[in-house]
Amino acid sequence: MAYRVMLIENDRLLLEQLAQAVQSAEGFQLVARYQSASDALGQGKLFKPNIILLNIDNQDGATLMEQFTRVYPEAAIICMSEHSQAEGVSSMVQAGAKGFIIKPFSAEELKESVETFAKSGMEVSSHVMTFFSPKGKSGKTTLIANLALALGRRTQEQVGIIDADLQFGDMMAFFNLKPKATIVEAVHEIRYMSPVTLNSYFEKVTDHVHVLCGTSAPNLIDRVSIDGFENVVRMARNLFRYILIDVPPGFTPTSISAAELSDVTYVVTMLNGGYELQHTKRALEIFKDWQDYDKRVKPVFTRVTPCDIASQRRLEQALGEPVEAVIPNAYQIVSEAANNGSMAVDIEPDSELSQSVNRLAEKVIGHHHIRWDKP
Amino acid sequence: MAEQQETINGAIITYFSTASAVGKTLVSINSAAELAREGYRVCLVDFDLQFGDVCNYLQLLPESTVADVQQGIATSGADCHVEDYLTPYVHEAATFYVMASPLKLEEAYNIKTAPMKAMLTQLQTLFDYVVVDTTSMFSELNLAVLDLSTVVIFLGIRDFFPTIKNMSIGNETLKNLHYDQNKLRIVLNRGDSQSDIPMGLMVKTLGGEFYHILPNDFRVANESIKSGVPLVLSHEETKLGQSLRELVYRSTNQDYAPEDESVAEHEMHGGFLSRLFGGRE
Repeated sequence: MAYRVMLIENDRLLLEQLAQAVQSAEGFQLVARYQSASDALGQGKLFKPNIILLNIDNQDGATLMEQFTRVYPEAAIICMSEHSQAEGVSSMVQAGAKGFIIKPFSAEELKESVETFAKSGMEVSSHVMTFFSPKGKSGKTTLIANLALALGRRTQEQVGIIDADLQFGDMMAFFNLKPKATIVEAVHEIRYMSPVTLNSYFEKVTDHVHVLCGTSAPNLIDRVSIDGFENVVRMARNLFRYILIDVPPGFTPTSISAAELSDVTYVVTMLNGGYELQHTKRALEIFKDWQDYDKRVKPVFTRVTPCDIASQRRLEQALGEPVEAVIPNAYQIVSEAANNGSMAVDIEPDSELSQSVNRLAEKVIGHHHIRWDKP
Repeated sequence: MAEQQETINGAIITYFSTASAVGKTLVSINSAAELAREGYRVCLVDFDLQFGDVCNYLQLLPESTVADVQQGIATSGADCHVEDYLTPYVHEAATFYVMASPLKLEEAYNIKTAPMKAMLTQLQTLFDYVVVDTTSMFSELNLAVLDLSTVVIFLGIRDFFPTIKNMSIGNETLKNLHYDQNKLRIVLNRGDSQSDIPMGLMVKTLGGEFYHILPNDFRVANESIKSGVPLVLSHEETKLGQSLRELVYRSTNQDYAPEDESVAEHEMHGGFLSRLFGGRE
């Protein structure tokens, strides 16, 4: 199916330039172009566009979106701007835009954008999860890697991992990735990015799972701004149905802001025979300031032996609240897979680890539907 | 006129790593305990501010913490006596003092580096050894502590590849801080544990021969944590306890001190401790 594009750009010269880009893009047909939104609203219908490229600079974007979605409910609206502001983008997306592109763009960029938006759907129904742990060595990176793979496999939706453990992120090693760019560059450059450009910062693990890697060397001075980080997460919402964020251990500016941006925060603890349960309790106390704590914060324990319902009940009793999941001791298979950088392929689907991760994945998918499919 | 006495600044021994769960707390507790057993004046500082385990492992219930020190320094400046905020640990003839991590997470989150540096410097004037337990990251506080330290013991562990990678990164980063070569000592914990990582790679990763290798004895280590008694103070002779002692002797340039001598030495110093903490004249 060819893309039938209607282009709305107030600037005469820019309209010309963008029209050429659309015309030279393979698989794209320019069916109408207007300098005025009113003309486009009244006349464009005759040409049955299925993609609308709409300028939002110096316009009341919200009103425009409202009008265009009403008149063209079948078409995908992609907003165009000379600048990218993550907040602006997400409000446009919430108002019904399928995507966002920085102008001027080339034929290649247009194609890439539309493909990305078609794949991700540019929906606001992105479900963001942060994996917090009081101390290091919690097993959460293993959990995130395997949960992301399970979510991708089960839903066939796009899943993004953001490794925000800025000093010692392990995702790169787990998946044996050699990223061209990391979270540090993404955060620095987010002001000039659209979701499409941000997408190129994510490394592909499988068709459904992509990773924004952590740094390869620790930043001695934390040069990643929290504002920038938050904008990366917000913009990533436009790209992925599920986002899993790995954060540094303990309460840090990064881990706190990630948790605040998330729909759910998993507090992950590895049982090692020490004082882990006490640490978890203390950490959970902090989150109890949130009114919707029950829905947003869920404890998970790893290296639980035996990994069964009785152990889970015991932990719940000790903790005084429900435990979302218990994950078995999978040191041997995990370390083999991680040593080879082959986490994506090496974990046996019928292993105890896979089974417990799959159970959690089902819960995530369930929550997600309940959350978003309600009228 | 009375002759002015020269102040003597004790040594700061810091246990650091860039991998988590490598045994920093267990080893630092045992270092403090061993030095105390030998009769030195020892303070153990828990700089794992948010989730420190020193008091858990020693079964102490501190009344004051570094958060109170920070408060004290904020209100009284140099007149703040940091020794007022210590918690003693006593086991048979050995005594050392613990500077506990904050009781509340909010307090921990708000600890500033400058007062902690002032606290360490003051502790140095009161103790022969200040032993510091840290977290596994290059935080502002940890970097300041590393700068102030006499000796930094970088603990490594034979674990899976991501951990090895983090230790390697940490080691490279430490090199870039340009400390004297003999300030930094690399110690391998649980050296004989099961791992697919060959020893040769470990040595390469951590950049040089190990200063010391501690044996793996999860059971003994765990029992010591449960009992609240450091291994070096336990009556049970264990390989791990012995190896911990050796590490302390080596890192403080001592010859092996037989049991009875150390007791005599302890009594010598013991008087000072009771003077210092029994009340000031």
